[in-house]
Parts: sequence; C-alpha cells; structure tokens
Amino acid sequence: MKRLRFGLLAAGVVAMLALVAVACGGDDDGDGGGEGRGNTVQTIKDRGELKCGVKQTQPLFGFREADGTVVGFDIEFCKALAAAVLGDHTDVEYVDASDASTRFELLAEEEIDVLIRTTTITASRDRELAVDFAQTTFYTGQGFAVRTDSGINSTSDMGDAIICVQTGTTTEQNVADHFTDIGLTYDPQGGLSQDVADAFFAGRCDVLTADASDLASRIAVRDDAADYKILPQIISKEPLAPGVRDYDSEWKDVVNWVVHGLIRAEEIGITRANVDQMADNPPNTEVARLLGVPFQGGDVAALGFDSVDAQFIYRAIKAVGNYGEIYDRTIGDNIPRACTLNDLVINNSGCPDGQGGIQYALPYR
Amino acid sequence: MTVAAGSAPPPEPDVPLIYRRGVRRLLTQGIYVAITAVVIGYVYTSLDLREFGFGFLNEPAAFKVGNQWLTDVDGVTNSRITMYLVGVWSSLRAVLVAIALSTVLGVLVGVARLSSNWLVAQMAMLYVEIFRNTPLLVQVVLVYTILLIGAPLIENVVNVGDFFFVSNRGMAMPWPVPDGGFWNTPDWFVGVWVAALIAMAVAAGRLRALRQDRERETGQPQFANRWAVGVFAVGALISFFVLGAPVSMDRPMIEGTHYIEGMVMEPEFTALVAGLTLYTSAFIAEIVRGGIQALPRGQTEAANAVGLSGYQRLTLVILPQALRQIIPSVTNQYLNINKNSSLAYAVLYDDLFRVANIVQNKAGHALEMFFVIIVTYMLISFAISLVMNFFNARVTAQRI
Repeated sequence: MKRLRFGLLAAGVVAMLALVAVACGGDDDGDGGGEGRGNTVQTIKDRGELKCGVKQTQPLFGFREADGTVVGFDIEFCKALAAAVLGDHTDVEYVDASDASTRFELLAEEEIDVLIRTTTITASRDRELAVDFAQTTFYTGQGFAVRTDSGINSTSDMGDAIICVQTGTTTEQNVADHFTDIGLTYDPQGGLSQDVADAFFAGRCDVLTADASDLASRIAVRDDAADYKILPQIISKEPLAPGVRDYDSEWKDVVNWVVHGLIRAEEIGITRANVDQMADNPPNTEVARLLGVPFQGGDVAALGFDSVDAQFIYRAIKAVGNYGEIYDRTIGDNIPRACTLNDLVINNSGCPDGQGGIQYALPYR
Repeated sequence: MTVAAGSAPPPEPDVPLIYRRGVRRLLTQGIYVAITAVVIGYVYTSLDLREFGFGFLNEPAAFKVGNQWLTDVDGVTNSRITMYLVGVWSSLRAVLVAIALSTVLGVLVGVARLSSNWLVAQMAMLYVEIFRNTPLLVQVVLVYTILLIGAPLIENVVNVGDFFFVSNRGMAMPWPVPDGGFWNTPDWFVGVWVAALIAMAVAAGRLRALRQDRERETGQPQFANRWAVGVFAVGALISFFVLGAPVSMDRPMIEGTHYIEGMVMEPEFTALVAGLTLYTSAFIAEIVRGGIQALPRGQTEAANAVGLSGYQRLTLVILPQALRQIIPSVTNQYLNINKNSSLAYAVLYDDLFRVANIVQNKAGHALEMFFVIIVTYMLISFAISLVMNFFNARVTAQRI
C-alpha cells in the first residue's frame, strides 16, 4: 500500500511536469535554431486577419474604451500593418497582451502575429525570448512620478521610499541597478502595471516608476493630474518597438519598412489627405517608389518585396496617415513631441542645444 | 474442495481470460507503466534538456522583493534562490497566521451556529453563507481595495496614543526588540530568556497534568489551568527582571512618509490573511457544527444531568469527542489555505509564486521554476499534514 502511494505520487509529479512541458512548449519551438522559417505574412493572408498583441490598460498607447474599442498609438501601427498586408485596416483582431509576463509567450505560441505593446528592445530579450524587434516606434526612458507636494525632486531624495514598480519588466532591474549605483535603499511594491499604478494613486507608494511615456499617459487622463509630476530624471533607454517571431525575416521586413515608410512620409510631407493626389501625380521618383506608383508613365519601380505588392506603404498611409499624424491624433499634447527623441531629425535645427529628435527613416531605394 | 487461507482461488475454466485476477493485475499495472513511460518520454523529447538545470538559481537576482519582514535582502548581491526563499517566508507567514486565525474564528462561529440564542445563531449563519458562497479572489481583492482607498493617507495617519498607527501604508504597532536592560547585557540574553520561558511552559504543563490527575482521583477542584497560568506568569516576570530586562517594546514612529521601528502590517499582508481567514473560517465553522451535531444527543443530556455549566459541557464533553470528526476535515482546509495563498498575486504581495514568476521572467527556465514551485507547495502541505496527523493521533488515542 505504501509503495503504491509513492508510485501514485511520483506519477502525479511526472504528470504535472508534463503539463508544464506542454505549457512551455512554445519557447522551445522558437529557440529551435532555424528549424523551418516562419511565414507569417502568408498566414495572415490566408486568415484574412492580422492578430495584433496590444496593451489594453495604458491610456494613449493601447487602451480599451468603455464601448469595447481599443485605441492608442500602438493600435494605429496595427491598422497600418493590416492595411499594408490585407488592404483593409479594420481586418485586425486585437489580442489582449496587457500582462507583461506573458506577452512573449503569446508571440512564441503564435497566438499573435506581431506584438505592438510598448515593449523595450534589449539584447537579452532579442537573444533569449524567440523575438525579433522591428524599427522603434517610440523612444522613451524610465522615469519617476511623484506627488507634486512630496518634496522629491530626484532619485537622491528617495532614500527608504516605497516605490511601485511593474514586475516582469526592464524597469524592475533598472531601479535595482540605479539605487545600487547611488547607494540608497528603497522598498518595492511590485505587481501588474495597472495594479501598481492604482496603488500609487491611492497613496500606497511614494513613487511610481515606469517608462516616462507610460507615466505621462496615466497622469494625463486623471482629473487630479496637477497633483502629480514626472521628474525630469531619466535612468534608462527604453526604445519601444514591434516584436515578431524569430526566423521570419519576410514578415519582419514588412513591419520594419511600414514603420520606416510612415516616418519617411512625414519627412517628405505625404499625409493621409494628400496621399491620393501624390499617388496620381508623384512629384519625384522617390515618392513614386514609396507609394508604388509609376513616375510619369514609366514602370513601377518594385522594391522587391515578394509577399506584399508595391503599394503597401500607400495603403498604410491612406489608413492612418504619416508618423506625425499618428502621434498628434493619439498622444498629442499629453506627451509633447517637439525637440524630444521622437521628433524628426530633420526638424532639429530649431531645437535648443543638447535636445532634438532621432526619428529618421531609412532610404526607399 | 478446500483452499489454503490467503491464496487466490484457482481459475475456473469457463472464466474468460480478461476476467481472471492475475491477468487483470498484469493488465492494470502494464497500463500504469505504459502511461508513465509515455509521459516521461514526452517530457524528455519535447524539451531541450541540454539547457535543463538549476544553475540559474545561483545567479545574482538584480531585483528586490517587497513585503519583507525580519529580513532585509536587497537582491543586488543575493542570488535568485535567496530571493525565492524570501518569497517562501512571506507565503509561510501568511499561511500560518491565516491558519491560526481561521481556526479560532471558525470554532467560534461554528459553536455560535448552535447557540440557543436566536440572534447569535442567525448572525453566524449569515456569516457562513456570505463568506462560503463568494469567491476567495473577490474577498482578497475587496479587502485590499478597502484598505487602500478606505484607510487614511500616511499624511493623515490615525495615531492611537503613539502606540498604533493606521494608514493605507499599513498598521504599525510596537514590537519587542533586544535591549541592554539594567546591566547593558548583550543581545543574546534574549535567547536565554526565551529558553527560560520554554522551560517554564513545560513545567507549567506538567503541573497542570498533575493537578488534573489529582482532581480526577479526589473529586476536589484543583484549578489546574489557573495554577499553570499563574506559575508561568510569575516565572516569566521574575526571570525577565533577573536577566535585567533583556527585551523592550519598540514603538513605531513616522519619519517623512514612512514608518520606522515597530512592526508594520502592510495592507497586502492584511488583505491576503483577512481574505484567507474569512473564507476558510466559514468552512471550518460548518465542519465544527457538523462534528458537534454528529454526537448523540445523550452526551449533551448526560453533561446536563451531572450539572456541568454550558462552558464545561462544551469544553469537557462535546468538543473533545467532536474533534475526532473535526480534525481530518480541518486538515483539508489548512491545506487549502496553503494552496490559496498564491492569490497573493492579485494584491501586490510578494509571495513565493510572484517571486518565482519574476525569476522565470528574467531567466526563462519555466519548467525548472514550476518544478520548484510545485515541490515547495507540496513540502509545505506535507508539513501541515504531518503536524495535523500528530494531533489526530493524540485525539483518537483515547478509545470511546
């Protein structure tokens, strides 16, 4: 009897391990050293719908409104991709990837085609998590929000402070590293991003730390926004970029060049309003190449994308407008853009010394 | 035809093969072995076991764990396994406190349900029905939300005579700390005092048993409990002063926006423990009620007949017998508390499950981490079962 019970116990442990193995299977498929290249573009076309993993709890970037629609900066890029690949920017299924700790699983498990969810590019993620990153859509850095009357002006005032920090993110490690550097201690409260923000606004913590854009978005939508301030101090680089699965360069190229195309459109003044007119009568060969239309009755200069036709950038611009239009429409004045990292390099001449944008599209040739 | 005792009856010729006992045994064991082999094989082949290993647990953590008590680990120089153990300690603390509180509350409510006072019985029933029929997650999150929003901000802290402070950063209360005392003794004198206390507790227990025996023999009241408590209290006081007052109470204070000194019960801990206690005590109350009602009515009537008071009837006659029914079921509830403690995930409490999640997020190795989580919960459950089996053996040792 004793022996039988031990046998059952052992079988139970093994069965649990098997369940875990099944649950984690996706990681290994992704890490599997180039076994079978993915072809996500074809999958999207066959399905007739783009599965976009987005955040639903962050105002301005990815937020579910009361009526169920999902809106925000990241959402516009989902629409642009759907328009580019499928021709219709409404053919998107927005999959909830709000939980930071499972977002890469969703991608590896092919629950989503692309992850556009304020995700920072880091070397270890690129290497270990079966994810490839496309062109950065938003540059930010980790900042700190405090109450205006708290008397805290930089991290050096935060000795023994209670800090609310989202777990499972780069911010957690940045805080630990930073406080080691400056030789102070702190008391962390960790959890899901929405939960820690709620705890901070309820007065549970002295400080909320997250990407500066994240902090701005959460404070901007509050009635008592004036009671909170974001410190100018930034302790990290957080380039936020769309993520795709490893070993699928066809799809990564499409995502990459759609983002570049929207930035390029802003650089050369193509907008949602004038894109049709530009396509009918392109002012120069570059605009013709970008929009995939013939220049003065000649041939269309194909850029060599096999999986999408030549007019994919045209459709993306037609659907959501250029980069600047997306920014103004979704984020607007809540996070000022002029002369910050997200401004165009070509606008930097008017900026004060030491400031300016780094958004710069690669050439369409 | 005679058959030797214990041996299987010889197979009858007309029984089909599949119904024969030997064949059956072989078949079931074969299926069992085959399933196990398939599962192990699947685990083995579906994973890249080249990278399987627990070495990642020894790497530096690079994150800090909140809700620490009696530990102060910053995670910079500490390994991941150290941080995990901090999380285990947080879980254990919540589980132990919830077990103690839910037992006391459960017995009170369970007895109250059988009260002859209509109001008391109805209130107890209402309590049970509310907390037994709503999800634990809802209760935990509700308590946490109330504590965060309902309790005052630290700036408007409620100060009870400089001893207790209540705000939404938790409840601060005095806490004993080692003290030099009269003769500036070293900190380890606390250990001496604690050892003395334990010795006196044992002595008091012995005295109680002696006086109980005498009461049984002579029939004269010997006040065993009063004697035991009195001896322990006097002994504790005397040894405290003989050792030069090695312990003092550390009163909490507020510096800026946080508590210093004293002990702080953070709202995350309170919410988790309160949720677990409310929920589980409702079940324990029903178990206690069932255990009492399962006793024959004659027991109550006999206790009344010999003139015992209501309290004596409960503590001397009813509960000791009902415990035989109660303990095995209550053990299950304790195991549930252990498992349900992972709901800490919903209230920012850094228990073992959350810390394990953080580690897994940084290091990958999900399989190994889940293995560690499962083994940890199982070990805690086994420990609880072990202790409860000991109590059960004591209760059932006396034949009735």
